[in-house]
Amino acid sequence: MPDPSFVFAQSVSGLTAAMFLFLIASGLSLIFGVLRVLNFAHGTFYMLGAYCAYQFMVWLEPGPGKFWLAALAAALVVATLGGVIERLLFRHLYGKEELYQLLFTYALVLILSDTARMIWGTQQKSVTRPPELTGAFTVFGATIPHYNLLILLLGPAIALGVWYVLQQTRVGRFIRAAALDRETLGALGVNVTALYTWVFVMASFLGGLGGALISPMRATVPGMDTEVIVEAFVVVVIGGLGSFWGTFLGALIYGQVLSFGILFFPRFSIFAVFALMAAVLIVRPWGLLGRPLK
Amino acid sequence: MQRRTLLVLLLAAALAVPLAADAQKPIKVGMPMPLSGPPALFGEPAAKGAMMFVEEINARGGVLGRKLELITRDSKGDANEAVRQARELILKDNVDFLVGTLTSAEGPAVSVVAKENKVVFIAPIPKTDQLTAPDKLHPYVFRISANTTMEGRSAAEIVARWPVTRVATMSFDYAYGQDVTKAFVDHLKKIKPSVQIVDQQWPKLGEQDYNPFINAQMAKKPEAIFSSIWGGFFVTYSKQAKALGMFDAIKYNFIGVGEAGSPETTKSMGADYPVGIWGNSYDAFYASETQAHRDYTARLSKYLKDEYPSSWAIQGYMGMQFLAEAIKKANSTDSDKVAKALLGLTIDTPIGKQTIREKDHQANRGQLYGKTVKDPKYPFPIMKPVTYVDPTKFMD
Repeated sequence: MPDPSFVFAQSVSGLTAAMFLFLIASGLSLIFGVLRVLNFAHGTFYMLGAYCAYQFMVWLEPGPGKFWLAALAAALVVATLGGVIERLLFRHLYGKEELYQLLFTYALVLILSDTARMIWGTQQKSVTRPPELTGAFTVFGATIPHYNLLILLLGPAIALGVWYVLQQTRVGRFIRAAALDRETLGALGVNVTALYTWVFVMASFLGGLGGALISPMRATVPGMDTEVIVEAFVVVVIGGLGSFWGTFLGALIYGQVLSFGILFFPRFSIFAVFALMAAVLIVRPWGLLGRPLK
Repeated sequence: MQRRTLLVLLLAAALAVPLAADAQKPIKVGMPMPLSGPPALFGEPAAKGAMMFVEEINARGGVLGRKLELITRDSKGDANEAVRQARELILKDNVDFLVGTLTSAEGPAVSVVAKENKVVFIAPIPKTDQLTAPDKLHPYVFRISANTTMEGRSAAEIVARWPVTRVATMSFDYAYGQDVTKAFVDHLKKIKPSVQIVDQQWPKLGEQDYNPFINAQMAKKPEAIFSSIWGGFFVTYSKQAKALGMFDAIKYNFIGVGEAGSPETTKSMGADYPVGIWGNSYDAFYASETQAHRDYTARLSKYLKDEYPSSWAIQGYMGMQFLAEAIKKANSTDSDKVAKALLGLTIDTPIGKQTIREKDHQANRGQLYGKTVKDPKYPFPIMKPVTYVDPTKFMD
């Protein structure tokens, strides 16, 4: 039986990974849920968030809260870019075949990542952790860095925030209505076009924020976009495409399976995650909390 | 009338150019190299180093009176893509030789293409022993980088001097990670039998979240850690390890092969670098002991427009240099003759004399090893003192 403090440490690191993945996957799920487009380029927004955070760290004067300012600015830049892309390009995809959507969003991945390469080059960029969060504390014999705790708290906070917007506000009701029946909503006088843009902006913001917040924990390099998008896809497939809480649950399961997979089959932990996805696809093709497509 | 004269002249020029070019036909070299994705961090500077050599030698009149022409293709760090590019370079671009590839998956795959087409292939970066293992060796493949046996054993010699017995390893689960870790563990056990390997973690190549691996490893209470997590991946791994207090827990008894001590890595991490660990590198602009190296560094710095030039350029540079010297020695661009000329060839490189052994077509390429320290002269940590570990005694 492994040491309890180790089990605790392992579950916390699984939880951190889950909350971080949730940040990325929630945007992906939101876009699919409302716009019905599988946005392969969502990972690229995440990468741009990380690069922008790096850039703002270079530009901004040193001072308290510099990192948070940089992260927020990065997320806003990515959100704006998302808005522009939706207005100019993305909207032509609505209602088209999945193949076109996939080809288009994949083309977007290539274009955006090459642009990033032109701007920032191939050398890895690194962002230092904000000085107020470089420490760590020990609980039950497990070391938890302060920064990881922040991610742990931010995940549920963002989940609740998005849930609140979707469930309790007027815009949220429109968004949910748009997910169900776009035409009727439009006929009722709601500006669905603008609504779609805002949903895309919000999802891009989440992706950009995820990238900015992860930059102190990872290297910012070309190619980080396609790595994360695969993980985010696994999460939404397990949880149920388009289901918000499903994504949350999917992320939690992903994190724990990965963490404890290492314990039981050290060399096959990644296999465990994909096996789980395959099992979910066989038993419940629409995901754990998703709805079967009619 | 003027127009007609012009036309005639143009026509004559058009006819004459190919004739003139034929006499002066360049020697074509194909280079499949990762120029996108995370491996491009090392691939791009290596390709630039090769290009610098080509420009320098062409300025001096080329080889055998002919210019060298380097055709670089993006292999994306993918073995299939590298094979496709290598085939295309040979069949469509009619290259005379191949110099290139980076990962330990690409190298052996392209070696097969070289064998089929009887084209000399010089690998400047892949380290896996399998590339030049007896069952894979053929007359056309040569390696001028270190291999996993040499690197693993060099690291074991350093760790054996530390006052530790409980050692753990962290490596990617693929050819390079497995081979270098095995070489390290086997040699360490041999030279210091009291050592116990308490844990081995095998994240997948390109892992982004090391927290669970680090936790699992720390639970086994190692006193020292050997890692072969390379390139940009090392940045991610060590940032997360630092946050978890791993380096403090093992008192910085940590050695990172896979160039964790390279200026590229320390530069990009700046203040986040776990200063005090051991690392290695192919080159270091700050450690010149010879005039030849100082000159090379100055030229490279100018070429790359970088005050602190890359440590990877040297691999591309030396790959091309070996090829050029072999062509001169063979006095021919015939692959069979050049392959023979490469056997036992010794050349003067910016880092000193290098020889390709006849036995396994492997150069005696050692690496720089050292403990990282802060140096007020540079805005990032450097290895100091830095030692070139001659691998000759580690070569079977």
